[in-house]
Amino acid sequence: MMLNTLFDQSSLFLQQLVNGVTLGSIYALIAVGYTMVYGVIQLINFAHGEIYMLGAFLSFSLVTGFFGIGLPFGLAVVIAVIFCALAGVLLDVVAYRPLRRAPRLAALITAIGMSIFLQNLALLIWGAQIKSFPREVIPAFFSAPALQFGDVVISWLQVVILATAVSLMVILQLIVHYTRIGRAMRAIAQDKTAAALMGVNVDRVVSYTFALGSGLGGVAGILVGLYYNAVYPTMGYFAGIKAFAAAVLGGIGSIPGAILGGGILGLAEVFGGGYISSSYSDGIAYAVMILVILVKPTGLFGRFAKDKA
Amino acid sequence: MTNKALHLDDRLFSDKKLYLPLLAVVLVLPWLPMGIAGPYIIRIATLTLVYMVLALGLNVVPGFTGLLDLGYVGFFGIGAYTAGLLTVYYQWSLWLVLPLAALNGAVWGILRGAPTLRLSDDYFAIVTFGFSELIILVIKNELWLTRGPMGVPGIARPDFFGIALNQPWQTYYLIFFFLLLVLWVVVRIRSSRLGRAWFAIREDEVAAECVGVNVARYKIIAFALSAAIGALAGAFYARWFRFIHPDMFKFWESILILCLIVFGGMGSITGALVGALVLIPLTEILRIVLPSEFSNARYLIFGLLIVVMMRWRPAGLLPLEKD
Repeated sequence: MMLNTLFDQSSLFLQQLVNGVTLGSIYALIAVGYTMVYGVIQLINFAHGEIYMLGAFLSFSLVTGFFGIGLPFGLAVVIAVIFCALAGVLLDVVAYRPLRRAPRLAALITAIGMSIFLQNLALLIWGAQIKSFPREVIPAFFSAPALQFGDVVISWLQVVILATAVSLMVILQLIVHYTRIGRAMRAIAQDKTAAALMGVNVDRVVSYTFALGSGLGGVAGILVGLYYNAVYPTMGYFAGIKAFAAAVLGGIGSIPGAILGGGILGLAEVFGGGYISSSYSDGIAYAVMILVILVKPTGLFGRFAKDKA
Repeated sequence: MTNKALHLDDRLFSDKKLYLPLLAVVLVLPWLPMGIAGPYIIRIATLTLVYMVLALGLNVVPGFTGLLDLGYVGFFGIGAYTAGLLTVYYQWSLWLVLPLAALNGAVWGILRGAPTLRLSDDYFAIVTFGFSELIILVIKNELWLTRGPMGVPGIARPDFFGIALNQPWQTYYLIFFFLLLVLWVVVRIRSSRLGRAWFAIREDEVAAECVGVNVARYKIIAFALSAAIGALAGAFYARWFRFIHPDMFKFWESILILCLIVFGGMGSITGALVGALVLIPLTEILRIVLPSEFSNARYLIFGLLIVVMMRWRPAGLLPLEKD
């Protein structure tokens, strides 16, 4: 009897671990977008969560034929991600670029304005009702179990999420460390003026940064839309906050920090919700965010000091 | 414009040509023919006055000290719940509940503000945001105290020393009285030593510290005052609306109030008033005019407005300084 309960306990623990890692890898994908933009232009891009929401809505609309034509799943995902990347670039060019020389507060307020605008735009286009992907349009194997140890089940979708997140992170690291554009990003993050003087086209690099971050955000949106099978206009708000907390925890501006922070936050949310209190599981992100900012604003790996430059 | 050198804020209480017509309009409004000033119009007018108080209160922190507060609705909620619960549990008078709510707001303003003194702009904004979300989460989950998602219904109407104020015009005059009180306080403080210290902090915190301004102390005073005003508005709101619910105090409420002062001009007292005067009736008009599927998304306009203002009129409609 005792042994049975123990087994139940440990399989519950393992299942939570699997769920937490899945959730964490999605938070990491979003958090990277916050951290990269902050790295190059020191702006908290509040509208990043809305790009993520856009990714979910676009992929949903393309596969279900919301815009008139239904596309195969793979194609719809690719188009949605490309569109998110472009939307991110557009967001920067239209809203943030004119304010580069303005006080930082102006850009931050603009970012909040864009977030509200995009969220309500989605509400206008798709309505407030929660949308779910119909069974027949998504690959059937997603819901099948990939691995099973006793009571612990890892679904194919979880495997796909984890594999996508990990490979995208590896590709991102390769881009940042081994390409010209990545070197330019790192140069701008270190010293914008000096980088510009050395011939780096700052605007172009910032556009690439937005494209990369928003593309990853779009991927995360699609994955979450599939994982919870729910797409709605305010989904970007909650995920955005949690991912932002992850970026702060890892140290804003640091890509490895964002990945680690995302993982920690995903686990904390699942275990906190399971073992402490489910009604306060959303509060973990806020609490982590506030505590890190108050106690160690540079986070785990951050470079940006809390004091005014 | 006889006196161009002085900003509207300085002339608010001294220029008869400015305040007498305004005062007349506000006082006469409930007595206009019923076709114009029906209960519905008075309701919107009352709501506008509530938001004017909120805009004045929020303005103290981002406008006077230059720190972006993204969680102002938290204090509105604290005030509303303090007043609402004290009224429901103990049937206390408005004139006892209101000061207590304001005091509770100020306490939380200080508790939130004290650890954030050394933070820079965007980190401060994030902490204020997280704080208000936590407040709402607590209100939602601590059922034994706040009834959580069931809300608090049946809060008694405002009273005037034992006499219940049942008529819409009575509550309208009541909130107008509170608005005048808050307005008087912020206008007086603005041109006092305290106000000058805040402006010094806003322009350059380090320089202010160097010339002997006690930055920590003055920031704390600003946090307490701002929070107290927000809680006061919340306390009135609870007694006027007679029902409160955690969903009334969501993040976008903070943004709406921020939008009011961004529109009017951050730091400008008249700007905060004008922002509320224009935008709050506008939201109500949009709610009626637009078909329901659009009216849910009417905050789209506020998002756009914020972006457009920051791009082309960052100092708002009534900027503090003309260039």
